[in-house]
Amino acid sequence: MTMNERKMIDLEQGWEFMQKGITKLKNILEGLPEPQFSSEDYMMLYTTIYNMCTQKPPHDYSQQLYDKYREAFEDYITSMVLPSLREKHDEFMLRELVKRWTNHKVMVRWLSRFFHYLDRYFIARRSLSPLNEVGLTCFRNLVYLELNGKVRDAVISLIDQEREGEQIDRALLKNILDIFVEIGMGQMDYYENDFEDAMLKDTAAYYSRKASNWIQEDSCPDYMLKAEECLKREKERVSHYLHSSSEPKLLEKVQNELLSVYGNQLLEKEHSGCHALLRDDKVNDLSRMFRLFSKIPRGLEPVSSIFKQHVTGEGTALVKQAEDAASNKKAEKKDVVGLQEQVFVRKVIELHDKYLAYVSDCFQNHTLFHKALKEAFEIFCNKGVSGSSSAELLATFCDNILKKGGSEKLSDEAIEETLEKVVKLLAYISDKDLFAEFYRKKLARRLLFDKSANDDHERSILTKLKQQCGGQFTSKMEGMVSLFISSYGS
Amino acid sequence: MRKEDTVKLISAEGFEFVISKEAAMVSQTIRNMLTSPGSFAEAQHGEVTFPEISTTILEKICQYFHWSLQYASGKETEFPIEPELTLELMMAANYLHT
Repeated sequence: MTMNERKMIDLEQGWEFMQKGITKLKNILEGLPEPQFSSEDYMMLYTTIYNMCTQKPPHDYSQQLYDKYREAFEDYITSMVLPSLREKHDEFMLRELVKRWTNHKVMVRWLSRFFHYLDRYFIARRSLSPLNEVGLTCFRNLVYLELNGKVRDAVISLIDQEREGEQIDRALLKNILDIFVEIGMGQMDYYENDFEDAMLKDTAAYYSRKASNWIQEDSCPDYMLKAEECLKREKERVSHYLHSSSEPKLLEKVQNELLSVYGNQLLEKEHSGCHALLRDDKVNDLSRMFRLFSKIPRGLEPVSSIFKQHVTGEGTALVKQAEDAASNKKAEKKDVVGLQEQVFVRKVIELHDKYLAYVSDCFQNHTLFHKALKEAFEIFCNKGVSGSSSAELLATFCDNILKKGGSEKLSDEAIEETLEKVVKLLAYISDKDLFAEFYRKKLARRLLFDKSANDDHERSILTKLKQQCGGQFTSKMEGMVSLFISSYGS
Repeated sequence: MRKEDTVKLISAEGFEFVISKEAAMVSQTIRNMLTSPGSFAEAQHGEVTFPEISTTILEKICQYFHWSLQYASGKETEFPIEPELTLELMMAANYLHT
């Protein structure tokens, strides 16, 4: 029998034949003993559809077949799938759902292959939903809409159990969440509205409870350790079963509850807060603090302000020390008084080195902290000690290093380094011109009385000063040096 | 060719044409069937019966498959079609989604 000679197939007849095939498929899916489809079965089913669609009207049954296709799914779902799901709860329900969804996808694949001819012409011509979309939509409208609430609650409760340390079946959760994603058929709406929103709310509530306990009981470093751990675990959770788009939203919620809400309380904890950590040089804890607070909006501002307060405090203490020492020795000669001030400058340099290291190590060179450091130094560097302004102190310090027989005996390298640091400190002093005056006077004296220890150092510091403060600053001094040094050479 | 790489196409009159799978998959219909998941009993692997396609047409179709593969790999020759076969050939092609 060739194409031209085939018999007309009546709708009833044809559908009865198709129904047998559909029932066979259902049995296979339900796990009943049923032989697999042979290629002959397949061809017969396909051919029946083909024939019914290519018959001359009014026997062209495309529309009816399209409707019956949908009905086949609806039947199966209402009669077998939904009842089996309704009678189960919690984790069992989740497992059943995954199984039914997988089955459903198989069913769609098979039936749409049988009915494929519809896709090619009937559906294309009338811009209807293609077969596999029809299949998935049936599942969505009948099963998903009814159950998604229960499913969501079951999933969230499992997540909370995992947070409390229990083992849960992560693969199961991943499969369930994949359903939320797949049912959107390209859109994330269902995942976001039906699952993610509720999950985020629950997460926020969970961490809010935890934080309110921890903030009472734990010290700042301990709290921070816990916070860091939680963030790490939530990130892992995303990689194990949540959809990747949830990651930023989830982390933001956790950070908000743990850090933003209790941020100030945490930093200002009396014996373990930011001040205490700075005072006790707890670099690791400070680094952790930076890492955590840099993630929340405006989180670093309070930290940098405490840092500034601390540095200012330390610097001011040095000034006071020097003042006290100086006033004790007021009766004696100026030389000895000068020594105290040299010590003061040394100590300021050390302080600067220490906290610059903090800025680059703990605070990852963040501008906010550079600024805090600068402002702190500007505050106490401009306080003089026993009548001498800081400008004069610095100039005297340089003089000691550069002159022969000065009180500082250092290697060439050490001298270079120290000069470098002194010039950096100059940046914090507001009356730089005063420094220039003092320096020039002392320089003149060194040159005139041939007390300069090393010409290279003299030139080098002038270069550094020029870089920092500009040519105008150093022009006269450079003139003096060239005059003397060149004439000395000749 | 190994057994696994071939399929057998059987015409209405019972003639068997053994061709490579690659050739047969030029037809979407055959391709769908062969790639359906979890499908076929071993015994019937690779045999497809077409009770509605005559031998002459099926033969031409097999030739078309091979020609199509050759055309795709660069040999741009012509495919001769006898006019009296045209109508049936077209209908078969439609059926097989080729």
